[in-house]
Amino acid sequence: MATILTVDDSRSVRTIVAKQVKDLGFEVEEAEDGVQGLAKLGEREYDLVLLDVTMPNLDGPGMLAKMREEGNKTPVIMLTSESKRSVVSGVMKIGIADYILKPFKPEELRAKVLSVLQGEGGAEGVLAVSSEPAPQAPEPAAAHVETGKQFVDVLVVDDMENVHKKLRTMLPNHITLNGVTSAQAALQTCRQRVYRVALVDTEIPDVDSAVLAQQLKVLQPHAAFVALALRTTNDVLAEVRGQGFDNVLFKPFSQDNVDDFLGQYFDNLDLLSAEENVLKVAAFTGRADRVDKYFTRISDTYGALLNKVAAACFEDVVLDVSAAPTTGDRLAKFLLSSADQAKQVGMRFAVVGTADLQKILNSYTETKELRFYGTVAEAQAAAQA
Amino acid sequence: MGAERLSEQLEQIVLKRIAEDSLVLPTLPAVVTKALEVLKDPDVSFKHVGTIIERDPVLAARLLRLATSAAFAGGTKKVTLPEALTRLGAKAVRGLLVEATAQKVFVSRDPKIADSMKRVWQHSVAVATLSRDVLALSGNADSEAAYVAGLLHDVGKPVVASILLEFERQVTEVYNRPFIDSAEWVAVIGRTHRTVGVALGEKWQMPEQVTRCIRDCAEYDNADRASLVNIVCFSNSLAKKTGIHAGTIDADEVDALVMIGRSIIGANDEIIKTLTRGLKERVSNLYD
Repeated sequence: MATILTVDDSRSVRTIVAKQVKDLGFEVEEAEDGVQGLAKLGEREYDLVLLDVTMPNLDGPGMLAKMREEGNKTPVIMLTSESKRSVVSGVMKIGIADYILKPFKPEELRAKVLSVLQGEGGAEGVLAVSSEPAPQAPEPAAAHVETGKQFVDVLVVDDMENVHKKLRTMLPNHITLNGVTSAQAALQTCRQRVYRVALVDTEIPDVDSAVLAQQLKVLQPHAAFVALALRTTNDVLAEVRGQGFDNVLFKPFSQDNVDDFLGQYFDNLDLLSAEENVLKVAAFTGRADRVDKYFTRISDTYGALLNKVAAACFEDVVLDVSAAPTTGDRLAKFLLSSADQAKQVGMRFAVVGTADLQKILNSYTETKELRFYGTVAEAQAAAQA
Repeated sequence: MGAERLSEQLEQIVLKRIAEDSLVLPTLPAVVTKALEVLKDPDVSFKHVGTIIERDPVLAARLLRLATSAAFAGGTKKVTLPEALTRLGAKAVRGLLVEATAQKVFVSRDPKIADSMKRVWQHSVAVATLSRDVLALSGNADSEAAYVAGLLHDVGKPVVASILLEFERQVTEVYNRPFIDSAEWVAVIGRTHRTVGVALGEKWQMPEQVTRCIRDCAEYDNADRASLVNIVCFSNSLAKKTGIHAGTIDADEVDALVMIGRSIIGANDEIIKTLTRGLKERVSNLYD
């Protein structure tokens, strides 16, 4: 267990720091000035020192300088009410890992202590000096659980209330959506929630949408930003990309465009999921003429997931397509292709599906040899037999 | 007279002229002054504002160009000046009027300072852009003041540089004496530009918080964490850290200001990356 030394002449500060550090599961010891701090460091090793600047007998910069002179490389976070650049610059030259200004929020202390103890400390190298775009793959909700913020799939920023109401009717129920009608409300909600995609109108009165999008990006660094625009020219996509958006969704909405939007930012994440050696296909929820796109997206994802199952040393892969549509020959073709890919990586392949599917597979010469089961449990039992 | 002594004298002359209100400062063009005045009225018609601004065709063209950009309209339909102003909104128009005026202050025809003043202007635009984005962290959408404060935080520099040019001509041509070297130039500007900038901000009737930023943004104000001074101070250090600055900088001090700012503003590494990503391109694309 890591042990932290807090050096501060204020007993109340030491008490607060000690409690918060203990809550993180670390041991903590206290010293009330630089002299005591050095004495403690002479007695044992610490993993981190939280050091005040202004103290009697020996101040923080003095103690830090002595530590480094003596070859003590214990990481130090300055925790101080001193914000003069000359003072902070001075201690940075001697060697500190980070800096916290008093009064501080518990989450700042927690984040910086953990960062330093996990070896990521310091402010160096954090600037993005290139124009490389932000990673656009939206993150699943679970990635944000630790922030304690509510996760929402879509944010719509448009001064016309009807826009987000209309979009709501065109999205599947499982996609969550918040709509706001002003820049101020957009900033507020982005401080309180985590979004996967933000749709920002390009014609909000009195608002520069590009500026607003950039401001929202600061608060939502993982979200994709899509402009809501009219199809006024042939170059709208290029124009909005020049303004910092990732994509455009045209108004008025068409179901095709909304489905494409869903496919780009949501479907690929959910259509095929893996749990150990079972790959499960999600239900098709779009219009009948979109079935081809649905299977294309599943096929695109299948190879990568199959490789993961193979890499985990499973000998069998079970593909559960119970929820997939059975009309036409698209499912049968997908299963043939999937079985072939499994064979290529040396795995046995089994299909789980409905009785209707079993009839269809039996009607084709190419598919009737596939190992078919009614449930995942049956498929697993057969594999272990 | 030694260079150091001359430098001190120049500084004293600049400060004395400010104290006596005899320093010649750039003025707001009459069109801008009038437009800013009428824009104080929340019920003003943009048709009326348009009739004022169209007296300056260059300014009018600039506002029209911006109003038809994708950010505001997403189209290329031709609009009239009042329509353009309506589309931009009063806050944006005020900011653009100040920006157009300030940009002229940074333009010099003297080759000795033209390049460095251009770099100071680019740095100022970067600080303005960052200030506006940093303000978003507080959930505040009223970004005009932050943008203008960032834009004007170094506005005293070109003014002092022009004064030094005038002194140089007098000293070298009239009295045939050597002038201060470039390092002393920078030092004199560094010691006096904030006072001159504040005087200019007051003359242009900028909001108090903007002139406060010009005066105090070299250090953080830890008594008022959410202040505009802190936002501009942090943005200034980030712009320098990103390499958008004029002349040499003290890298240790910049690092210290970034580190302090992370704590005061509450910006983590991820936020800083988002703030600075593509900043150079954004600044050069806008103002080349």
